[in-house]
Amino acid sequence: MSNQYNEEELDDVVNLKSGVVGRLIKSLKPYWPQMLLSVVGIALVSYLDAYYNILNKRIIDEGIVAKNLPVMIGLFRNYAIVVLSQMVGFFIMIYLMGLLGEQLRYDFRKKLFHHLQSLSLSYFSKTPLGWIMSRVTSDTEKMADLLTWGVLDTVWAVTNISFAVYFMLQLNARLAVIAMLSLPVMIFVSFKFRVKIYHHYRQSRKANSKMTASLNENITGVRVVKALRREAKNLDDFKVLSTNMFQESYRAVLLSAIYLPTIQTISAISLVLILWRGGLQVADGTITVGVLQAFISYIMFILWPIQDLARVYAEMQNAIASSERVFSLLDVKPEIHNRENLLSVDSLVGDVEFENVSFHYEDDEPVIKNLSFHIPQGQTVALVGTTGGGKTTIVNLLCRFYEPSEGVIRIAGHDYTQYPLEDIQSRIGVVLQVPHLFSGSVRDNLRYGRLNATDEQIEQAAKLAGAHEFIMNFEKGYNQDVGEGGNQLSVGQKQLISIARALLAEPDIFVMDEATSSVDTLTEALIQKGMHQLMSGRTSFIIAHRLSTIKSADLIMVIDGGQITEQGTHESLMRKKGHYYNLYTKQFRHDLETKYNLFADQEPEASAA
Amino acid sequence: MSKQKVPYIPLDMPKVLSKKNKLLSLWHLMRGYHFHYFVSTIFLALAAFARTGMYVYLGTFIDRMIKERLTGQELTLSALTFGALIALQALSSFMSSWMANFTAENTTRRLRDYLFDHIQRLSYSYHSESKTGDLLERATSDVDTLRRFFADQAIGVGRIVMIFIISFVAIARINMRLALVSIIIIPIVLVISIIFFKRLSKAYEAYQEQGAVLTTDLQENLSGVRVVKAFARQDYEIEKFDKQNAEKFRLGRKFNWMHALFWPLSDIICSAQNIGSSFLAATMVLNDVITIGAFISFHGLLGWLIWPIRNLGRLIIDTSRALVSFGRIAVVLQAVEEDMTASTYQPKDGIKGQITFDKVSFAYEKDFLVLDDVSFECEAGKVVALLGSTGSGKTSLVNLLPRFYDVTSGQILLDGVNLNEYSREFLRSQIGIVEQEPFLFSCSIRDNITYGVHRDVSQEEIEEAAREAAIHDVILGFKHGYDTLVGERGVTLSGGQKQRLAIARTLLINPRILILDDSTSSVDMETEVQIRAALDSLMNNRTTFIIAHRIQSIMNADLILVFDKGKIVQMGEHEVLLNQDGIYKDIYDIQARIDSALQEEIDRVESI
Repeated sequence: MSNQYNEEELDDVVNLKSGVVGRLIKSLKPYWPQMLLSVVGIALVSYLDAYYNILNKRIIDEGIVAKNLPVMIGLFRNYAIVVLSQMVGFFIMIYLMGLLGEQLRYDFRKKLFHHLQSLSLSYFSKTPLGWIMSRVTSDTEKMADLLTWGVLDTVWAVTNISFAVYFMLQLNARLAVIAMLSLPVMIFVSFKFRVKIYHHYRQSRKANSKMTASLNENITGVRVVKALRREAKNLDDFKVLSTNMFQESYRAVLLSAIYLPTIQTISAISLVLILWRGGLQVADGTITVGVLQAFISYIMFILWPIQDLARVYAEMQNAIASSERVFSLLDVKPEIHNRENLLSVDSLVGDVEFENVSFHYEDDEPVIKNLSFHIPQGQTVALVGTTGGGKTTIVNLLCRFYEPSEGVIRIAGHDYTQYPLEDIQSRIGVVLQVPHLFSGSVRDNLRYGRLNATDEQIEQAAKLAGAHEFIMNFEKGYNQDVGEGGNQLSVGQKQLISIARALLAEPDIFVMDEATSSVDTLTEALIQKGMHQLMSGRTSFIIAHRLSTIKSADLIMVIDGGQITEQGTHESLMRKKGHYYNLYTKQFRHDLETKYNLFADQEPEASAA
Repeated sequence: MSKQKVPYIPLDMPKVLSKKNKLLSLWHLMRGYHFHYFVSTIFLALAAFARTGMYVYLGTFIDRMIKERLTGQELTLSALTFGALIALQALSSFMSSWMANFTAENTTRRLRDYLFDHIQRLSYSYHSESKTGDLLERATSDVDTLRRFFADQAIGVGRIVMIFIISFVAIARINMRLALVSIIIIPIVLVISIIFFKRLSKAYEAYQEQGAVLTTDLQENLSGVRVVKAFARQDYEIEKFDKQNAEKFRLGRKFNWMHALFWPLSDIICSAQNIGSSFLAATMVLNDVITIGAFISFHGLLGWLIWPIRNLGRLIIDTSRALVSFGRIAVVLQAVEEDMTASTYQPKDGIKGQITFDKVSFAYEKDFLVLDDVSFECEAGKVVALLGSTGSGKTSLVNLLPRFYDVTSGQILLDGVNLNEYSREFLRSQIGIVEQEPFLFSCSIRDNITYGVHRDVSQEEIEEAAREAAIHDVILGFKHGYDTLVGERGVTLSGGQKQRLAIARTLLINPRILILDDSTSSVDMETEVQIRAALDSLMNNRTTFIIAHRIQSIMNADLILVFDKGKIVQMGEHEVLLNQDGIYKDIYDIQARIDSALQEEIDRVESI
C-alpha cells in the first residue's frame, strides 16, 4: 500500500498556507451566535476568576482589617453574587460549547459520509478501509475538540492572564512587574514540556497499537504458534514491543510528573520576590496586607491558564493535521459522474455493445485491451477464464462502476455516459460472488432491492428465487436477523437472498458473479432456479463457474489477458480443443467430485475452531 | 528504537489469584514495586504537609508583619522559607507521582507480557471456545484500566484523603469550631459526586456504544459499497447513517447536559460552604477570636478541603471499574496452561516415526465420541491417507499426534512408547504440519518461511527450500522478493501459495512426522504438478498422515483409512480396498464414472 495511507509513519507536517484554518473557521459559520455567546460566557467567567482576588483583598482590607462589619457583609454579599453569576456563565459556556462540539461532530460525520457515497468504486479499491474509517471517527473528534474546547481554553487562558496582569498593575505597578518577570519563562517552559509530553504520548499510542496488533495476530494464529513451538521467541518479540510501549508511556508520564512541579518552582521564585518586596512595602505602609495576599493568589493561580494554553498548543498541531486529512478526503472528486444534457429513459432494454473498449487503472498496464462485442437484447453471456484475466473488470465497466479509458459502451443504442449514473446502476441487477448483506432482518435486506416493495412483493420475490422456504424455517421468518455482514447465514443462503433482492429490483440487465465455493446440492439447485428467473427475458452477463450455467449460455466468451481469446457456443468451443476445452474438463471433474462429496473440505470442529 | 529488554522481578501469579479480596490481589500484582509505592505515599504525605505548611506559614508571616516591623533580613528569610516550602511541595509531588507512575508502568508491562505468554500457552480447546476480540479486550483495555488505577486512582484517593485530613487538622488548630463548620457540606458533596459520576459514566458508555454502532454502520457501508452502488441506494444509506448519527448527537447532548449541570451546581454548593465559613472566619477576626494571618491561612486551606471532594466520586467510580477489569483479567489468568515440558521421555537417537493407535477414542464433549475405538499401525516412513466425509474424525485424529488434545481412552504409541510419555515440546518439534490454507504472520516472506525453524538459516538454504516447494519464482516475482511483507500491508497470497510457503518451512524444519492437508485449491495444471512434486519430496522418508482430497495421494499411500462417523470402516492398501465392497470402492467407481461421463460429453460434442 502506498505510503500516504501509512499514518503511523506520517509526521504531522502542517502547512498552514493550505487554508485549513480558514476552512475550519468556515465550518463554524452556522453556529456563530452559539460560538459568540460561549466565548462571551467564558470571557466573563475568566474575568470573574481574576476578580475574586480583588474581592478577597477588599474583604481583608476594608472589612477585616478595618473591622467594619457592614462593609464586610456587603462584600460577602457581592462575593455570593459574583459566584452565582460566574456559575451562570460557566453553565452557559459548558453547555453551549459541548453542544456545539456534538453538532460539529455530527456535521463532519454527515458531510464525510455524504461525500463518501458519491465517490467511485476506484477510490475504495485503492484506499484502505481503515484509513477512511479513522477520518470519519477519530479525526472528526479532534477537529471538533479543537474548534470548541481548544478555542474555549485559549480564550479563557488569555483573558485570565490579561485580567490578572491588569488587576495587578492596578494594585501596584512595581510588584506587578516583579510578578510578571517569570511569566515568559513559565510560558516558554510550559510549551516546551507540553509539546514533548504530547509527542511521547502519541508515540506510546502508536506503540500500543503495534502491541495490540501483535497480540491479535498471536491469538488468531495460535495453532501455528503451538505447532511450531514459537512461544518463547514470540514472547521475546512481544517484549520488545511492550518495552517500547513502556518506554514511551513512561517518558510521557515522567515528563508530566516533572512538568507541574517545575513551573511551580519557577513561580516560587516570583513568590519569594513578591513576599520579600511586598513585605517591605507593607511595612512601609505603601500597600495593604490584602494587596500582598492578592498578589500571592494571582501568582499561584496563573499556572493554570498557562498550562491550558500550552496543552492546546501541543494538541493543535495534531488536530490541524487531522483536519487536513479530512479536507483532503472531502476534496476527492468522484471519477464517475453525470455528464451534461442527460438522456432520461425509463428502461435500458436493448442491445449491449462494447466498441474498442480499453481500460486501465490510473497509469497501470491496461486490464482490458480493445474489446468489442455486441449482445442482442435478452441473450445470456457466460464469461469464463482464469482469475485476473479481466472478467470482473468487464462487468464493472458494464455496471459503470468504472468507465472505459478508451472506446464506447452502448446500451440500447446510446453511449451509456449519456444516461444518468443512477439510472444505469438501478436498472442493472447485480449479484456478487460473495454476497454482501447488511445487518438487519432478512426483510430489510430484500427490501434493499426496491424500497417501496410491499411485504407480499418481497415474499413473492423470495419465492421466485427459491429463498422463501429456508427463510420460513428461521425462528422469526422474514424478521430473522442476518447478523453483521449476514454472517448468521450460510453462503448459499446469502446468495439466494441476494438473488431475491435483485429480482425485486426488476432490472433490465442482469449481472452475476457466480460463487466458486461449493454449496450443498439442494441450495445449488435453488440458486440455479433463481438465476434462470433473473435471466429470462433479460440481457445477462454471468461470470460463470458452474458448468450448467456455462452450457446454457447463448454465448461463451473466454477472457484472458483482457481480451476475448475464444468465443462461441459450448459445442463449438469444445470442438476447438483449445483454452475452453481445458477449462471445461478440469471444472467438469471438480464439479462431479464435489457433487459426489468425494473429499469433503473440512471437518466442522476445525472450522468452528 | 532500542531493543534492549529491561529485566524485572517475575510475578507470583498463584498468590495474586489466591486472594479473595481483589484489592489484595492488585497489591500482589505490584510485587517488587511495593517499596516504590510506599515511597510514593511518603512523598504524598510530605507534599500535603508542605502545602499546608505553606498556608500556615503565610498566615504567621502576615501576622508578624502586622504586629512588628520586620527587618530586611527577617523578611528575606521568611520569603525564602516560604519559597522553600513551595519547592519542597513541588519536589515531593514530583517524587510521589514519579514513583506511582513507575510502579504503574512497570506493573502493567509485566502483566502484559505475562498475559501474552499465558494466552499463547492456553490449550487448544480454550482457544476454540473463546473469541479473539474478547481475549484481546481483556489483555489490552482492561490492563490499561489497571494501569490508570495504579497511577491515578489509588494514589488520587490517597492524595485527596491525606490533603483533607492534614488541612482539617491545620484548620482545627486555628479554630475547632471553624474546622467543623467548614466540613458540613462534605458528605453532601461526596454523595452527589458519587451519584453524578455513576450516572455520567453510564451516559458516557451509552454515548461510546453508539459510537461503535456508527463505526459498524460505516464499515458495513464501505465494505458493501458495490451493493450500494449496484442498487443506487446512496440516499437510503445516507438516511440510515443519519439516523444513527443523530442518535449519537442526542446521546452526546445528554452527556453534555449532565456535565454542564454538575460542575456549576457542585461549584455553587462548594462556594456556599466557602463563603459561609469564610464569613464566619472573618467575623471571628472582628471579634478577635483569630488573627488576620489565621484568616488568610484558613482561606487558603479551605480550598484544599472542599474542592477535591468533588473529584472523589469520580475516583471511587473508576476504582470500582478497575476492580471489574481485574476480575475479567483474572478469569483468563485462572485458565490452565498447556504443560509443554511435563513427561520427559526423549530417545537418544531421535524418533523413527512408527505409530500405533490402540483402541483410541476421543471426545470434545462428554458422551459424544468423535473418534471411536480407532486402531491401526503405521511403520516409520510410510504414508497413511485418511479418507472420509466432513465430521468423520480425520482432523481430530491428526490433532492427537502433537497432543493438541489428549485421547479420551486407549493409547497412541510412538516407536512403541505411549505418546503421553513424550513432552509436548518434544513431540511438536518432531511433527510438521502443512495445512490447506496456512495462517501467515504479517512479517516478510523470509520470516514466514523461517518461522518456527529453531536455528539460523542461510539465504541459500531458504531459497533451496523455496525452490523445492515451487514457490521461489513466485517470490522473486514480488517487488521486494523475500523481503516482501505478507498481509494487510503487503501482498495477498493465494491459498496455494500460502501452502507452498508452509511446505518450504516444513522442509527446513525437517520433522520426522508429517501431517498434510492435501488440498485441491484452484490452481492451474502447471502449478498443480509443481505442488505435487513439492509434496512428494516433502513426504520422502517421513511418516506422513494425509487428509486426502484427491485420488492421487490415496493411490500411493501405504495405508488407507476410511472413516465414517468416527470409526474406521475400511483400511488397507489401494489394491486391497478396490477389491472390497464399501465406501472406498464407491468413491473409486465414481471417479471412473466421472471420467467416462467426461468422455461421453466430448464424444457428444464431436458428433454434432
